[in-house]
Amino acid sequence: MQRAFIAGILIAVLASISGTFIVLRRYSMIGETLAHASLVGVAVALITGSNPLWVAVVFALLAAWLIELLRDRFELYSDAVLSILLSGSLALAIVIVSAGGAFNTSLFSYLFGSILAVSKEDVITIVVVGGVALAAILANAHKLYYIAFDEEVARVNGIRVQFLNFLLVSVVAVIISLSIRVVGSLLIGALMVIPVTAALQYRRGFLATMSLSLLFSVLSVIGGMSVSYYFSLPSGATIVLFVIALFILSLVITRR
Amino acid sequence: MRFDLPIFDVRNLSLNIGNHTILKKITLQIFKGEYVAIIGPNGGGKTTFVRTLLGLQKPTVGEVLIYGKPLEAFKEWEKIGYVPQRATLIDKNFPATAHDIVKMGRLPKKGFFAFYTDEDKRKTEEAMKKMNVWRLKDRLVGELSGGQRQRMMIARALASDPSILILDEPNTGVDVASQKVFYDLLRELHRNDGITVLFITHDIGVIADDITKLITINQSAQVCNDPKEALSCESVSELYGIEAHLLANHKKVKSC
Repeated sequence: MQRAFIAGILIAVLASISGTFIVLRRYSMIGETLAHASLVGVAVALITGSNPLWVAVVFALLAAWLIELLRDRFELYSDAVLSILLSGSLALAIVIVSAGGAFNTSLFSYLFGSILAVSKEDVITIVVVGGVALAAILANAHKLYYIAFDEEVARVNGIRVQFLNFLLVSVVAVIISLSIRVVGSLLIGALMVIPVTAALQYRRGFLATMSLSLLFSVLSVIGGMSVSYYFSLPSGATIVLFVIALFILSLVITRR
Repeated sequence: MRFDLPIFDVRNLSLNIGNHTILKKITLQIFKGEYVAIIGPNGGGKTTFVRTLLGLQKPTVGEVLIYGKPLEAFKEWEKIGYVPQRATLIDKNFPATAHDIVKMGRLPKKGFFAFYTDEDKRKTEEAMKKMNVWRLKDRLVGELSGGQRQRMMIARALASDPSILILDEPNTGVDVASQKVFYDLLRELHRNDGITVLFITHDIGVIADDITKLITINQSAQVCNDPKEALSCESVSELYGIEAHLLANHKKVKSC
């Protein structure tokens, strides 16, 4: 349980910070899409007996780069690209697990999250890989914020917009793959988007919004995992219900 | 004939989008110290021309040199301050204070690890004071008026110590009183700070006394170094395709 809490809190930090840039760029659906792409990796790993975490990272990264490529080179609408990849990944994952006869409890733990499934190795991986991902985002936080506000002027100012867009989606892909053990691939997108949307209701500057989002995310993980543990419910679902409750509370408080 | 190196050297520039000719065989130069207005009818290619100068659109034929270098080789983007069209019509819910936005102007000078230094803070303060928005530094961008946002955006462009300021219809969404304040500030930046200014405008009467060069764009471009002469009713009527009554500083000077 202690391991699961450590992993959950780390994921809350990673998801809320990267989620801030995703939401501000009107790119909220990328979390869902990459989570489904990582599910393809999990399906492949379950059939081949590989480590699901690493295979999920590979598939999520490939999907992230494909999204950016389609958006940038072919000038397709972002939401259309995300929709195509999301449904395509899910379809592929279903075909793979059906063909391999891998519809079992192990798969469900990746779909909905399971705190009991978190191993010591998982925690170490989240700390090391998540730490590198977080450092990459924080080192470029001001530039990513600039791009979110005004991509065209950022480009004129010599900011490497294309590189930073690739960096952001790659980091998000890694964070999502790390998170699916605890939150589940069907629900991790919510943990990236809802805390930020709740924080935005308070109408503050950049740092305050990111800090509030971080607070909501951590509170949701602690609350959701506690309920999950005591009532034997899937951790991903309870975490998301907690963060939705915080979002509704924020709406009520800020509209009074 | 001038022998100093132009800031922008546009050589035989043409741009087609599909079968449509947007810009046709434009050759002109912008030199240090000039105060240049670009006028022309809507859809005539003014914004496309400026975007091509800045590398945001690639010409079909011809080339643009900045400080003698092709766009791809030019690296000193902090020398270019850019305020795009509709800059004042920003997302009112974006979590940013005026200070957050102006600070972004310092990012062109940063490497991979972009953190603000004391000098960045000082330059940001200087730029905000110059544009009379320092007292608004903690206000959210959504709470600012059109005129205040316009000055905030120019302050952002000034924060990088540019040698040229490029503005695309900066008065969009700004009331008449703020427009007067804006042109006074722009003139001061040119005269007192030695900043070269290039701007797209429809306020022909207001700019007539100040500009040193006038560029008219309606697919092709005409450059005139005697703007008062060029701003005759006949030429303006011909350019816009309507009968023009020219007002200089709000006084009617001539009827056609």
